[in-house]
Amino acid sequence: MKRAETLLVSVLLAVSALGATTQGAFAYTGDVWSNSDSFTARCLGFTDTYPQQLYSLTTGQMGALGYQPITGALGSSFTRSAFLSEVFYDYAVYVHSHGDNYWASSGRPNVDSAIMQDPGPTRCSDFSKDAIRSSTIKSTTIGTPYNLVIMSTCNLGSSSSTMPNAFQIEMTKASTQREFYLGYAYLTYDSSELRFERAFWSYLNGAPNHQRTLYQAFTYAVGIGGYSAPDSADPFQPNWWGNPNYNGTPG
Amino acid sequence: MSRTRSTSAVKAVLAAATVVVGLAMSTGQLTAASFTDGGFDSKGTDTARAGQPVVTDTVLSADDSPEVFARADAARDALGFPVGSKKAGRHVKDGFQNSDYDEVAEVGSSGQPLAITQFDGDGRLLAAVRFDAPSGPQVKVTSDAAARAAQRGLAGTGLTVGGAPRIDANTLTGGWDVHWDRVQDGFAVRGDETRVHVWQDGRIESVARVEHKLAAAPSRRLGQVEAQEAVALQVDAWSSGEDTSYAVQGMDVEWVGPNAMFEPSKVGAAPGPYRLAWVANIKPSGPASEYVRLITLYVDAGNGAVIGGDIVE
Repeated sequence: MKRAETLLVSVLLAVSALGATTQGAFAYTGDVWSNSDSFTARCLGFTDTYPQQLYSLTTGQMGALGYQPITGALGSSFTRSAFLSEVFYDYAVYVHSHGDNYWASSGRPNVDSAIMQDPGPTRCSDFSKDAIRSSTIKSTTIGTPYNLVIMSTCNLGSSSSTMPNAFQIEMTKASTQREFYLGYAYLTYDSSELRFERAFWSYLNGAPNHQRTLYQAFTYAVGIGGYSAPDSADPFQPNWWGNPNYNGTPG
Repeated sequence: MSRTRSTSAVKAVLAAATVVVGLAMSTGQLTAASFTDGGFDSKGTDTARAGQPVVTDTVLSADDSPEVFARADAARDALGFPVGSKKAGRHVKDGFQNSDYDEVAEVGSSGQPLAITQFDGDGRLLAAVRFDAPSGPQVKVTSDAAARAAQRGLAGTGLTVGGAPRIDANTLTGGWDVHWDRVQDGFAVRGDETRVHVWQDGRIESVARVEHKLAAAPSRRLGQVEAQEAVALQVDAWSSGEDTSYAVQGMDVEWVGPNAMFEPSKVGAAPGPYRLAWVANIKPSGPASEYVRLITLYVDAGNGAVIGGDIVE
């Protein structure tokens, strides 16, 4: 029954999406989103370059892994509506933004993790206007599977995060599905995210024919060390769930 | 969680259906009233890859580079890493990390690497990582036992460390992170360390030695008052005309890597040697505090110039 419902909804979505893309049969879309307008001189008094650096790194490396086309946005086109209208079709999703595990609308202790959309060129981030809740993402992805989800934010790799479930990725390290979720467990410096993700991609894409696994790349990137942390309560601890034997290629 | 591959098939069907309709449109059988890209900044893969760092390698053989393989064997055994059915050696130019190293992988019968060891041009261990995972319930060793295991492993690989390590429980893995943070001329070198990840059963998962080149220390170092003035000047500039204001939480002298945090023109530039700097932790208040937890500013300890920083979003 669930399958039938999913198919029906999917067909309706397909009809509504006609003309949204002609990028090719069996395209394995990867979306890369980075919030940059919140981190400009207009909002902070200086322009933070990390959103651009992480966006550029990921668009290239996700493409090298086989996802095509790579869409998404750096900056003002990273809106909630754009994210939600695209996410169903994605096989891989990357977000660099502010992220946290917020109380759900039902109140504590229930958590509903969220990321912040880019606020655009006239505002700065505001949770009440910009949050994209995991519950909303969950209702949009309607059971469809995802190969690779990377939340390059604070806190969404913690065990209390509800973001993996929004993409149907079970919080286990022994999945046999083609799925992998990566996030950071605590507050994390952007420089550490950039160092980690560079190492992750360099190992994963550093050998021909996608012969390495995401778990190996994760373990390698953790293993090289050299990560600064904001304080002792927030050690640098990336985390993952999914299939330890999966190489990350789409499909 | 139950789910089937049917949803993946749905995505494929949707993609195919989209193409069919796209073809129909292109032949004039349907008319698209409004055919937008939805405002996305689409990137073709080739375009996106332009300017990307790359990893290049050359194969190392045991016959041509016996010393590299001998070092790798010694490190593997010292760390208790698994022995593969064969080895694979390579010299790597890693454009992501701006480093060159020799790497030997222990390769299992399935062709997958079981562990790797990496050495710099002087033959010193840079990193060692095993890729298997502990299985089944384990007895958890104490932090002291983890530190002893780490010290034994390092000694066996020829790495020397001094003083007592910092030992952090890894809340995610249940193991221990044992590290010796690098200090030069009495000042911490930000991020530099010798670090050992120890599984909760006491076996070593990885070793890393991170050691950046350091510039000469400035002949005259800014005093705390001068440094506070330099930081205040910067913070005042950030605060002007915005609701957001900043408060300096603390300052310390460290060796830091200059970076492009505040200077877009320096993104992609080759990293220079670490410099001695005053490092200020700064908290925003006002609207920005909702999405920025901390800003860290590096001010050159010699001339007071801003040379980089960091941010916690």
